[in-house]
Amino acid sequence: MRRGLTLRLFLWPTVALVGYLALASMPGLWAALLHALFPGEARVLYQQASMFELIGRTLELVAISSVLSVVVGVSLGMFVTHRAGADFHDVVVDLTNLGQTFPPVAVFTLAVPLLGFGVRPTVLALTLYGVLPVLQNTVAGMQALPGAIVESAAGMGMSPWQSLWRVELPLASPVILAGIRVSVVINVATSTIGAIAGAGGLGAPIISGLVNADPAVTLQGALLVGALALILDAYLGAVEKGVARSVGIKEPQKARS
Amino acid sequence: MITFEHVTKHYEGATRPAVDDLTLEIPEGGTVVLIGPSGCGKSTTLRMVNRLIEPDSGTVAEDGRDVADFPPEQLRRHIGYAIQGVGLFPHFTVAENIGVVPRLLGWDAARISARVAELLELVGLDSTTYAEKYPDELSGGEAQRVGVARALAADPPVLLMDEPFGAVDPLTRERLQAEFVAIQARLKKTVVFVTHDIDEAVKLGDRIAIMREGRLVQYDTPERVLAYPADDFVAGFVGAERALKRLSLAPISEALDPADGAAVVGATVPLDSSLRTALARIIEYGVPVVGVTDETGAVVGSVSIESIVERFKRPLA
Repeated sequence: MRRGLTLRLFLWPTVALVGYLALASMPGLWAALLHALFPGEARVLYQQASMFELIGRTLELVAISSVLSVVVGVSLGMFVTHRAGADFHDVVVDLTNLGQTFPPVAVFTLAVPLLGFGVRPTVLALTLYGVLPVLQNTVAGMQALPGAIVESAAGMGMSPWQSLWRVELPLASPVILAGIRVSVVINVATSTIGAIAGAGGLGAPIISGLVNADPAVTLQGALLVGALALILDAYLGAVEKGVARSVGIKEPQKARS
Repeated sequence: MITFEHVTKHYEGATRPAVDDLTLEIPEGGTVVLIGPSGCGKSTTLRMVNRLIEPDSGTVAEDGRDVADFPPEQLRRHIGYAIQGVGLFPHFTVAENIGVVPRLLGWDAARISARVAELLELVGLDSTTYAEKYPDELSGGEAQRVGVARALAADPPVLLMDEPFGAVDPLTRERLQAEFVAIQARLKKTVVFVTHDIDEAVKLGDRIAIMREGRLVQYDTPERVLAYPADDFVAGFVGAERALKRLSLAPISEALDPADGAAVVGATVPLDSSLRTALARIIEYGVPVVGVTDETGAVVGSVSIESIVERFKRPLA
């Protein structure tokens, strides 16, 4: 028998998440610690929103943009690795490379006049930024499928869609999930820049601290973002491991980015 | 019956056609082995039967109907397919792997699981032990057996096998070949079998089609291919020991003499073995004649070195 996704895999990420949320519910503790670190500073905590509100907004930005990145990245990856889209492989990969080299700040600058301030330009920038790792790993995962298996699927009379859903996607999923994990973690960090465009979230204390010369406030935001990225990474790593086990791959593949 | 009529396939960028004006008839209920060196077009030929590859010109027909008239998916669900490296799906259990085609055909769960159990027994695997295993828990030989069971799942009249025993050790391969012969004797499928191993071809084929550079060089029974190779290429391909290979094809009965009192005690061979075994026994005991025993152990005749030589002087039909 084979164990797949088990609750046990999520034990430690959940412990970390509970600890994280518990700490976020204690502004008094933060104030005391940051005062001890920065004795001269009058303002050590971001006042305009609670830590829960900041975390919630960041998760919202990351969730929307990651879902979009995954949908775009996985579909494009499947398209260019199959017969119909093979001709577009190089173009698509070049374009997504460009999407990632294009600085998110520049995306804001160009998108704000069209989309206004706030969440929308941020989601656009994060989505473009996050597509590449998903696409790359989808392509890598599809290309790494053993030829005998794909040929068997066709030879037994599966339609291209049946082969994709029942055989190719499940078997490539650990590699694709590794790409999704990289994409989400990048997006958590990059989402802080969204504060410039007025999207709020954990970038707000970082930018605010920067603008007002309050290093303690910046540190508050940075710690919260860093820890959140680690926790999401741990959760997605657990999913990846469970899925890899359930499709019969012993070691999850290393992410490529 | 599968017929190829003037079939040509030229891959883009290749200097010569992979399959060049091939005309071939594969009789119903027989095993035809396609054999030849790498690049001779044998696998391409096989894949044109289930339309994994489409010919550039000519027709491939099953029972008189052009395969191009069937939708490929429907066609393939009625043609068993087993390939080298097996191609078992690693995320499916053995039972799920065998049940792929029946599921595609819409069988209900009870019928599928009954069929899976039946097939596992057919290929010599205990169904309660193996049904829920995953491919990575199987040995090479077990995986090949499951591959054959999967190809047989929907009881297709035609079976395509592309070096299905290519990836296992020689001992396991021999056992799988013997089992295949026994299964085929019962099921009488129309089998197209690709290999590059002449011994396998001789053992399994009712007829052998030898290909070279996309062309059919010789198409004949194993015995005639060994006795009368069409040209130097075939002679070289079947090897210098082709006479010994013929011996292993010939049953004892073809050189049986009356019981000979001079036969050395103990120097006997069973009636159902081949002349190759008889010759081995003759050499082993250093005698000119060995006794032949039936299943009860009683001596029913003898085989001598002269009778073996005489047997091979006779021209083949």
